[in-house]
Amino acid sequence: MKILSLDTATQAATCAILDDDKVLGEITFNYKKQHSQILMPMIDDLFKNTQMSIGDIDAFVASKGPGSFTGLRIGMATVKGLSQGSKKPFVTVSTLDSLAYNLAYTSGIICPILDALRDNVYTALYNFDNNDFNQTLDYVNISIDELIKILKDKDCNITFVGDGVPKFKEKLIANLPNISFAPAHLNLAKASSLGELGLKLLTSGVKDDIYAAIPIYLRKPQAEREYEEKMRQKENE
Amino acid sequence: MECIVNTIDETYKIGELLGSLVKSGDIICLIGDLGTGKTHLTKGIAKGLAIEDHITSPTFTIVNEYTGRLKLNHFDVYRVNDPDEIEAIGFDEYIFSDGVSIIEWANYIKELIPPNNLTITIEKNLEISDNYRKIKMEYTDKRYDYIKEIKL
Repeated sequence: MKILSLDTATQAATCAILDDDKVLGEITFNYKKQHSQILMPMIDDLFKNTQMSIGDIDAFVASKGPGSFTGLRIGMATVKGLSQGSKKPFVTVSTLDSLAYNLAYTSGIICPILDALRDNVYTALYNFDNNDFNQTLDYVNISIDELIKILKDKDCNITFVGDGVPKFKEKLIANLPNISFAPAHLNLAKASSLGELGLKLLTSGVKDDIYAAIPIYLRKPQAEREYEEKMRQKENE
Repeated sequence: MECIVNTIDETYKIGELLGSLVKSGDIICLIGDLGTGKTHLTKGIAKGLAIEDHITSPTFTIVNEYTGRLKLNHFDVYRVNDPDEIEAIGFDEYIFSDGVSIIEWANYIKELIPPNNLTITIEKNLEISDNYRKIKMEYTDKRYDYIKEIKL
């Protein structure tokens, strides 16, 4: 099965073509957010250099987030359009899953963190148990302090990956023992990683519905934000 | 800081001076009644940022983006009923970007405005004259100290 996978949930604009177990090609730019301008030419280049066209693709994989609101919409809309136009199925996978999967077979906990601004991160927790890839904490939008609280009692090595790393690295080092960080070449969303996870879903018969599939934005509930605002005003008084 | 202007051109001039000084990541809140000159001030800021495009009020689009010396995100949240609506368009990604953000009617979405902003309040006083405006600039973050350089 040949799939086209793409992810624009973070600063990285990335697309890849996979043919079952083989990555035929991948293009990734991790430079400014210019997804709406570069994504289609990137896909076009991928097709040209693999001597393929859209008709050769059996299914599509898109990121469902969380991540940049605008980025998510660009990626999801592109895949939905390609899927509808070519009458081929698509499936969505979280960028957090794909980031964790970048670090396949790492021992201990894998913790992807994406910068959700205002000192918050989009995160989830994963581990590899023998060869099984498990998610142990659902996707959440929490403050970096809350995340540290959750991880404080863990009694194993924790590896961080994602665009939240540069921003929070010092704080994490100062507050947690036994931690590591993904090397630069793995510390970005890769469409090949997302695609591989998507392919597993597709081969097991999972696909998304074009009208029902929506990104996971993971916004903080309004009540929570209002509470924070109240606290902030109190502090200023 | 406060300055008094007596014509639309002076409002524009203040904006232009401000626009030549603003820095990447600045957040400018504009507060004032309808017709006080918020959009005129923004036009001046855009000019100061070397933006050539014609600036129109984003009342219906909520945000317009321009590129000059820096990127400018021009918001007008007058029509926003609930801060949730503006957050849903990815507000944080705009205001915490490398660009400069101007938010007209920022008082409507107080809970979303970070503390390190420059708040500009424009007030009329019809008893003095139709075009009299008091432009008040307030901030707590030293990053906006360049305001002191603005003189008509």
